[in-house]
Amino acid sequence: MRSIQHTFLAASLVGALALSSLFTWAATVPAGVQLHAEQTLTRNNGAEPETLDPSLIESVGAANLTRDLFEGLTAIDAQGKIVPGVAEKWRQVDPLTWTFQLRPQAKWQNGDPVTAQDFVYAFRRLVEPKTGSKYARTFGDFFLNGKEVSTGQKPPQELGVRAIDKTTLEIKTSHPVKFLPELVSNPNLSPLHAASIEKLGREWTKPGNLMGNGAYALKSWQVNSKIVLEKSAGYWDADQVKITRVTYLPVEDGHVDVKLFESGQNDWVYMLPPGSYDAYLKKYPKDTRNTPLLALRFYSIQTQSPFFKDVRVRQALSMVLDRDILAQKVTADGQLPAYGLIVKGVEGADRVDYEWANWPMAKKVETAKALMAQAGVKPGAKFTFSYNTSEYHKKMAIFAASEWKTKLGLAVELEAMEFKVLIKKRHDGQFEMARDGWNADYNDATTFVALVKCDSDQNHSRHCNKDAEQLIQKGLKESDQTKRKAALNEAIRLIMNDYPIIPLLQYSLPRLVKSYVGGYNTENQMDRFRSQDLYIIKH
Amino acid sequence: MLAYTFRRLLITIPTLLVVIGIVYILLFSAPGGPFDSERVVPEAIQAQLMSKYHLDLPYWKQYLLYIGQLLQGDLGVSYRYADWSVNELVSGALPVSLAIGGLSIVLSLLIGILMGALAALFRNSLVDYLVMALGSLGSVLPSFVLGPLLVLAFAIGLQWLPSGGWDHFSWPFMVLPVSLLTLINVSTLARIMRASLVEVMNSNYIRTARAKGLPIRLIVFRHALRPSLLPVVTILGPLAVSSITSALVTESIFSIPGLGILVVNGAANRDYTLVLGLVVLITAMVVLVNLCVDLIYAFLDPRSRA
Repeated sequence: MRSIQHTFLAASLVGALALSSLFTWAATVPAGVQLHAEQTLTRNNGAEPETLDPSLIESVGAANLTRDLFEGLTAIDAQGKIVPGVAEKWRQVDPLTWTFQLRPQAKWQNGDPVTAQDFVYAFRRLVEPKTGSKYARTFGDFFLNGKEVSTGQKPPQELGVRAIDKTTLEIKTSHPVKFLPELVSNPNLSPLHAASIEKLGREWTKPGNLMGNGAYALKSWQVNSKIVLEKSAGYWDADQVKITRVTYLPVEDGHVDVKLFESGQNDWVYMLPPGSYDAYLKKYPKDTRNTPLLALRFYSIQTQSPFFKDVRVRQALSMVLDRDILAQKVTADGQLPAYGLIVKGVEGADRVDYEWANWPMAKKVETAKALMAQAGVKPGAKFTFSYNTSEYHKKMAIFAASEWKTKLGLAVELEAMEFKVLIKKRHDGQFEMARDGWNADYNDATTFVALVKCDSDQNHSRHCNKDAEQLIQKGLKESDQTKRKAALNEAIRLIMNDYPIIPLLQYSLPRLVKSYVGGYNTENQMDRFRSQDLYIIKH
Repeated sequence: MLAYTFRRLLITIPTLLVVIGIVYILLFSAPGGPFDSERVVPEAIQAQLMSKYHLDLPYWKQYLLYIGQLLQGDLGVSYRYADWSVNELVSGALPVSLAIGGLSIVLSLLIGILMGALAALFRNSLVDYLVMALGSLGSVLPSFVLGPLLVLAFAIGLQWLPSGGWDHFSWPFMVLPVSLLTLINVSTLARIMRASLVEVMNSNYIRTARAKGLPIRLIVFRHALRPSLLPVVTILGPLAVSSITSALVTESIFSIPGLGILVVNGAANRDYTLVLGLVVLITAMVVLVNLCVDLIYAFLDPRSRA
């Protein structure tokens, strides 16, 4: 639980970030690159979006779409860097207060100016229970009174956002949030055109109704077939937007996706089918891309279950699992082995591996066996591993079970189930060990710390390290970034030495993108590509 | 005949009520709900969602509420596709499924009956062997093998047709899915037609007709064809319904926005209203198709008109 601190430092830190709007930030085409005559892009989005209402979106695919249709205070460019959006500059007034200066030329599609009030309306709508957003807490908790508003204890008017004037927005946070400029780039925090929503109700996201302020407007939407966006002429930076039409496909099956790519109907395969990465790398060396994501694959251990009560058992199981074979042979799609909570590229804490990470396997097994013996677990002992039905997870689970059987003599019962069932079991703690994974909502260590901290709804292990919790709370209140990082590092070290989870791999995103899609790159670890930052090279 | 048809249509109502009831029980006894997600939703928000969709009411009230809505032609709102009502989703997907399934049924009937009849009339000839070989191929190759093969040949190899997708009933997008469904249905229909016609041709009254010296053309068209169609009609009902409503494999191979993908996504996401709406639709279709089958029966076989 995050405590709310109201201590405003007298000598407030003046925000260092004050970016000028003199630069344009959309598609920067390198000198010498010739553009294709037809600037259209078809990108598969992996699934049909659950909604296009920014307050209600949850999935990566819906976020991709709303990033094109709406523009928040800030944005993430193709390189994964924060750039101004509707806000042309911003300033941290004191550790808990920020002001964002909006550009006067930002417009809604109907020509209305985008005002600070539009952000206030949107933020309140996201957080208040009436809306029913599953991301109310995720983002709401960062704002002053956000938690109280999301739980219905305070009215939405008390949320820490306020329009000082038409183009100045003030945000008060519940604790120092150094990465607020990045946080507000999230499409859940896009401005909303209140008049459209109030007038049209549930119908407001339909083609012809949807009022956005982004680089693109919604042209057509056929469920489970495609969503077509067209460049919005009124967008303030329209001159820099190269692609004029974007078609989003909702294809879930990787094989079908690749076939559409091969027959020229798709420029962008969402994700290659499991196990096919090497083959496609050989077949299409220029088009095959792989980005390490800010995401962790892990197994959650129910630390209160009888089998896993003893930390030595949990440690032994983590030690003997050969991540190198898992990455190179089992999943074989360019993922990186993970030996800690924090993956490569995450800000706000260091990536620290277990000290045994580089030991030879024989030594790991020997140590693990000793730990098991000390804990009194005999070979032949049995536990259940739960995963959601999928070839990919099954392959990984069979490998893990065979590691534990051959190296420690344990019998693992594999239990497959639907995803919805697994989610419920994990939340209810009705499992012994379960497949798990997390994709960062924003680039800060806290998004991963939430997986293991006390009283977090994402802490499926139900493990709570009180000392670590104190450090985390201390770190969150800290506005000195070095001290904050040190506190979080130490907290993570303490928690991970209790082995509540078994970190396995850092997710990567193996996919095919036509080499003529300019602006696409593998540096963007959040995989957030606005279509306005891309362009089609002559081919 | 009219009274019979009307009576049969009336029976649909209790059938639907029972089916909806059973699906209700099944849906609510499946673990996990529509609003379970990776993140636990605060209680206030959960309560808000539950009351918005009337999920906070006792089951029997929800059931009655649903039936009430249904009587007004309203299938409710979808949870998985939050921006759309079930009516909108169904009216978008049904024409697509009807087009693909309907076309393929008509084609497979024409081709299947013709092929089966030829095979039966020229039994143990090259024609028969060819037809039966084709028929066996269609039944042993499942659609998830045959479909990608068609794509490989005609979309990626020859580049004649799109490999998938859908564009407002534009024909190039329909050729491959319709072909796939037809290939699979034809193999079943041809085999049944062949077996049935062979049996009829061996029956006593045909032998009598032959003994009378009637020309074979007349025997086949006047005496043999009608009775030999009966088993084909029997299989037609389930075949038609499955081609239209549960062509899931075909839909996913060609990425077609039909009913099948709605059924699967609806069930996986515990989208109660979407699943119920589709069940109502499919039940109604089954009843209607069965009625049609019975009427065709009556036409083909005078004995069943009683």
